[in-house]
Amino acid sequence: MDKRESMWDVYLKKGMSRRSFIKGCVALTSIMGLSTDMLSKVVEAAESKPLPVVIWLHGHECTGCDESFIRSGAPLASDVVLNSISLEYDHLLSAACGEPFEAHLEETIQKYAGQYILAVEGAVATKDNGIYCMTGGRPFIQTLQHAAKNAAAIIAYGSCAVSGGIQAAEPNPTGSSGIAHYTGTKTVVNVPGCPPIPEVMTGVIMHLALFGNLPPLDNEGRPKQFYGNRVHDTCYRRPFFDAGMFAEDYDDKGAKAGWCLYKLGCRGPETYNACGNMRWYQGMSYPVQSGAPCIGCSDAHFWDHAPFSARLPKYGPFGDVDKIGVAIAGTMAAGIAAHGAVSIVQKKKLRAEKDRIQAEKQGKKVEK
Amino acid sequence: MKRVVVDPVTRIEGHLRVEIKVDEGTGKVEDALSSGTAWRGLELVMNDRDPRDAWAYIQRICGVCTTAHALASLRSVEDALGITIPKNANYIRNIMAASQTVQDHVIHFYHLHALDWVSPVEALKADPIATANLQNTVLSTYKLPFAGPAGINTEAYPKDFPQATPQYFATVKQKIQGIVESGQLGIFAAQWWDHPDYQLLAPEVHLLAVAHYLEMLDKQRELVTPHVIFGGKNPHPHYVVGGMPCSISMEDGNAPINSARLAIVDRAINTARTLVNNFYLPDLLAIGTAYVKAGYVDGGGLAKERVLGFGAYPIEPFTGTTNGGFHEGLLVRCNGVVENFAQGLGKATFYEFKPQDIADPAVLGESIQHSWYEYPGKDGESLHPWSGVTKAKFTGPKTGTQSSWKELNEEGKYSWLKTPTWCGKMAEVGPLARYIIIYTKARKNVLGQPTWAEQLMLDQIDAVSKVLNLAPEVWMPTMVGRTAVRGLEAQLAAEISKFFFDKLITNIKSGDTKVANTEKWEPGRWPKEAHGVGLYEAPRGALSHWIVIKDGKIANYQAIVPTTWNACPRDDKAGHGAYEMAMMDTKVKVPDKPLEILKVIRSFDPCMACATHLFNAKGEKIKVVTTDPYTGTRVDD
Repeated sequence: MDKRESMWDVYLKKGMSRRSFIKGCVALTSIMGLSTDMLSKVVEAAESKPLPVVIWLHGHECTGCDESFIRSGAPLASDVVLNSISLEYDHLLSAACGEPFEAHLEETIQKYAGQYILAVEGAVATKDNGIYCMTGGRPFIQTLQHAAKNAAAIIAYGSCAVSGGIQAAEPNPTGSSGIAHYTGTKTVVNVPGCPPIPEVMTGVIMHLALFGNLPPLDNEGRPKQFYGNRVHDTCYRRPFFDAGMFAEDYDDKGAKAGWCLYKLGCRGPETYNACGNMRWYQGMSYPVQSGAPCIGCSDAHFWDHAPFSARLPKYGPFGDVDKIGVAIAGTMAAGIAAHGAVSIVQKKKLRAEKDRIQAEKQGKKVEK
Repeated sequence: MKRVVVDPVTRIEGHLRVEIKVDEGTGKVEDALSSGTAWRGLELVMNDRDPRDAWAYIQRICGVCTTAHALASLRSVEDALGITIPKNANYIRNIMAASQTVQDHVIHFYHLHALDWVSPVEALKADPIATANLQNTVLSTYKLPFAGPAGINTEAYPKDFPQATPQYFATVKQKIQGIVESGQLGIFAAQWWDHPDYQLLAPEVHLLAVAHYLEMLDKQRELVTPHVIFGGKNPHPHYVVGGMPCSISMEDGNAPINSARLAIVDRAINTARTLVNNFYLPDLLAIGTAYVKAGYVDGGGLAKERVLGFGAYPIEPFTGTTNGGFHEGLLVRCNGVVENFAQGLGKATFYEFKPQDIADPAVLGESIQHSWYEYPGKDGESLHPWSGVTKAKFTGPKTGTQSSWKELNEEGKYSWLKTPTWCGKMAEVGPLARYIIIYTKARKNVLGQPTWAEQLMLDQIDAVSKVLNLAPEVWMPTMVGRTAVRGLEAQLAAEISKFFFDKLITNIKSGDTKVANTEKWEPGRWPKEAHGVGLYEAPRGALSHWIVIKDGKIANYQAIVPTTWNACPRDDKAGHGAYEMAMMDTKVKVPDKPLEILKVIRSFDPCMACATHLFNAKGEKIKVVTTDPYTGTRVDD
């Protein structure tokens, strides 16, 4: 039990060929958004790193994140759960329950101290000493703090774990909060979304499993490879926004033709997520493609930015198309400055955004 | 007498704890309590919000039965505002409901329930050649040859047959061997694999089931593809009050729905039908038959005495629920209550659930005698969901401290679930309830001409009764029956998806592409005050959402969900809820390893996040001091 196996060891033991191993690595390279010249590094990592132990905790949640995780198309759920990680504790999939299960949790925390990945789904209920979320006869907040102490890395899966989610919406009856303030000083990888895209969820864990380090994060702790773009910037309906062609009502002529949903309250312009480029179900769709405006579910506290039919309420009533871009670019700049690391790419992006707005102001009339 | 605590109960949704008092000599469970141990307060969150957003918020009650709460919520809002949705939207919503039911039932059987019946450790003893032979036998013995009135047959031949080659099973066995030898058991760690119940089935059955566990883990995602096409994602697809957001057009490549998109839905529906017919039902019936023949006909509990349903699948758009429109044209008319089913049809009684019952406080109500809430009046009173009151009152456990429980207090309050009642009585809900109601109505000649779906249900019941050589009143209200009927319902739901897909195609063909009715989108066109209800048959049973809209905003929002009906704490007048009754109707062989208790609890497919949210929000705001609600995330009280 003491020998920790690498992914390659597992392939060997299970009688799988080198060819299928490499094929697995190719798939991982692409789902992690890495270029093909990174393949050799992926192979190297998969050959030498042992199967990482994962403890998955559930706080105040709906289990939609766990469900999203098993909807992953590449890698498939069985491949992740049985070949890429060792999922030692998870309320949804684990066979065991009750006392032996809790004892196994404790054993795992001690035995793999400093080595396991702690994945957390759900908010932490803090009011009245955490009694609104009890599991195993004790408050979830205690279990979380205890498991965080020995973790090698912590992943906050979904908007609840990142920023409190739906139960933290006003009036937040149970004092629910994102987990980061209760897990000590360790970096928390934030993977927001309600739920996050399946392949984003598995992609993050595969990065940790293969490279043994955290994926590059932005100033809000989000993996840049998945949260580096606004839905608006990657939206296939973006040309209609630029051309001032909007659906004015559900099911009108514009809606049928797939025009921009901004006027129906789409939050794409302020939401950082991979919905526009990766989409759901390996490129099959995302809310906008199915005619539904984005509700900004990967945005912190988006539940209190309602009604969802209002146009970007954070930027004033009936948000001015001309000003939105500027306001958002400003927020982004402030965030980056605070982090103290303005990358060239981001600078370029900002400039491009400003240029675009400038061009719109001077040249094209944007319909409101 | 030994008191055994199981907390957390896993392979369910959310946080559940059970405690039993078991006689070590006889294995009889003398008392049992079921406790929801988390409370999220979602209905409080609903207060003062825009009713057009309600579906999005309340859908987050649960990500496992995702969509169920959104659809019930939409019905309640549309009922309150008097909105009739277009035909296409009705068909699409029914496809989404039915495909979610199939997916949910498949996940439940293979990934949440199966490891109570089969063990990877036993699978290691299996002979791959014998397992391949067994697969062939199972497939030829236990298929149920039923189908709906599929008009447009788009599939040349069923694509997904189970593999029945020795090499395949040898590979799977080798894989399990590798996991066991590595010592890193992962999801298989720490279970009571030495429990005698795992000896009941031959090793080959274990290997076959474990192989299908893995296959279905990768296949289940395809079953909810219709959500991704029509609602943009899954879990938690998008909707709109008045219909669906997915506009239909055959004239534009950017249209959300066109022929190519519909073809993806069609493929997913065909996949669902095949997987249920070739994997789920044969596996289920093979295992269930073995258990029934070994004498496992316990765990019925409350199902023997009383079951409840609201009715499902409106064939065409309806004008409202409180006005009776919903109940006029249902495909599955399981609206009603059956009492004493286990005593045979002669003694069983049926009561119809009528539209006038909806607003009657004498029919539906909730009490909080043993729940961590308080009422302004007496604890024992029952309040109708439109006028209920809720205030949290946590009283802690019987032994241990508030934050370190040893034993909960069955004489006092012990759960975050309330206790819903029908005419002051407890009732079980779920697939089993729906089937018992349709069967009883048909045999008592109160059903009228069965719809094709109801006829299919009756045929399924007859077929299984023949396989088991037992009368429905004997095998249905049991732990095995509850699990078996869920499988039957998966077959039904897959056919229902197909039925509504055909209707959708026919309607679009006739020239109707409308999916949303936005005539009453603007709040200016709403009444100053309106009450609405949304009735829905979720995978886990009868669901109702209750809304009061005042001045364009939500003034009160409540949901009585299936798991609350089933997992609720006791009531001094009404007795025990379904979980507690079922546990007390189950024998335990090894008190320290109460596998039978877990099996019977999981036969309900528990969904605790659904059950344990706040039940009423009538002005009872709880004061919370938020240090920094928008820029930070820390919240202290």
